[in-house]
Amino acid sequence: MSSSEAVACRRLVRRFGERAALDGVDLALAPGETVLLTGPNGAGKTTLLRVLATVLRPSAGDVSVAGHDLPREARRARAAVGYAGHDPLVYPGLRARENLELYAALYGVDPGAVGTALARVGLADRAGDLAGDLSRGMLQRLALARATLHAPGVLLLDEPTAALDAEGRQVLDALLAERGRTTLIATHEPERFADRGWRRVELRAGRVAA
Amino acid sequence: MNGRAFRALVRKDLVLEVRGREVVPAMAVFVLAAFVLFRFGLGGETLAGGTRAAVGVLWIATVFTAMLGLLRGFAAEREDRLWDGLLASPVDRASIWAARTVSLLVFQIAVQVLALPVFWVLFLQQGRTPSYGVLVLALLLADLGMAALGALVAGLASTARAREVLAPVLFLPFAIPLVIVAVSLTTGTIPPQTAGSHTVTRLGFLGLYDTVFALLGWALFEYVVEE
Repeated sequence: MSSSEAVACRRLVRRFGERAALDGVDLALAPGETVLLTGPNGAGKTTLLRVLATVLRPSAGDVSVAGHDLPREARRARAAVGYAGHDPLVYPGLRARENLELYAALYGVDPGAVGTALARVGLADRAGDLAGDLSRGMLQRLALARATLHAPGVLLLDEPTAALDAEGRQVLDALLAERGRTTLIATHEPERFADRGWRRVELRAGRVAA
Repeated sequence: MNGRAFRALVRKDLVLEVRGREVVPAMAVFVLAAFVLFRFGLGGETLAGGTRAAVGVLWIATVFTAMLGLLRGFAAEREDRLWDGLLASPVDRASIWAARTVSLLVFQIAVQVLALPVFWVLFLQQGRTPSYGVLVLALLLADLGMAALGALVAGLASTARAREVLAPVLFLPFAIPLVIVAVSLTTGTIPPQTAGSHTVTRLGFLGLYDTVFALLGWALFEYVVEE
């Protein structure tokens, strides 16, 4: 596949049993581009993001992320991708700092980056709190810190505005204003980003709507 | 294997257990309750089969206790839907399996430190001390095998719907050879039996068992947890 595209899908299919959640998706994101992925519930937005995050294997078709073909080069792609899913993907029984230290170890990131990441999302003073004790908005910010801890070139965000508090919106806006990163945002609130001029792709029944 | 990631994953499991106290207390209560039930239900060495039957109780309780631990294996990842976080990271899946194996091993050893003295008091006659060196080695090798197998089964069961049914069905048949050899080995350490050449052979079998399931876990875990 073309290495000039940061994200590329050709006839991507992902099945769960007999049901095709993705049924021939064609999508390409240029390096540094931000795209809004919209569509009704069950259209396949989350499944597409999970395939691109290498959490799910494609059933058929060609996929490449950050120039790495999936699933063959998934491990290399993972180091270049940041993924914030529906759930914050942090351990409630670990402190905020401990969660990021764990992910820093998994991504091979310098432990010193943890303090910077927490400060960036406004959680430096809550670093010692258990993640389970944080508010939903704070958890979302911690999730953003986790997803960007390793400075990924490709960022995948699934409903990033859900339950985000005012400070979280500022954090998200600052994050999305950073240049050079390719970002795919699955959202039910495309109007929230209406003034950005980003391309919008709509999924319907597992396909890109014409 | 990524050593830093492995250590971070083990630390995570141990910290979560120390704070949550979900697995080890449950395993300890289970094994002690099993000993008491067997003791008063069947008798100690006075029951038919004598020492061998008593040792059988020890190993059966050990296997079922290990199963209880593996049922809680990856519980946080399943209940808090954290698998995506681990799977999206570039850590090799063998590190995840190895870290879980070490955690389960630590939990089992912690429980046995408490349970073994109770077993001796309840089941063995006074003055019948075993060969501690052989017994400890047998327990460590058996625990390692059960932990390696248990981590693999826990990974498989964590993504399945009927995990409470699936885990025992997968775990117990593979634990049978381990129990057979461990019972023979342990019985041989308690007088009037004497440890002979069979001891080395049986310890070798346990080592081989550990090696086989370590290799299987190492090689297969990626396919077990990735959809």
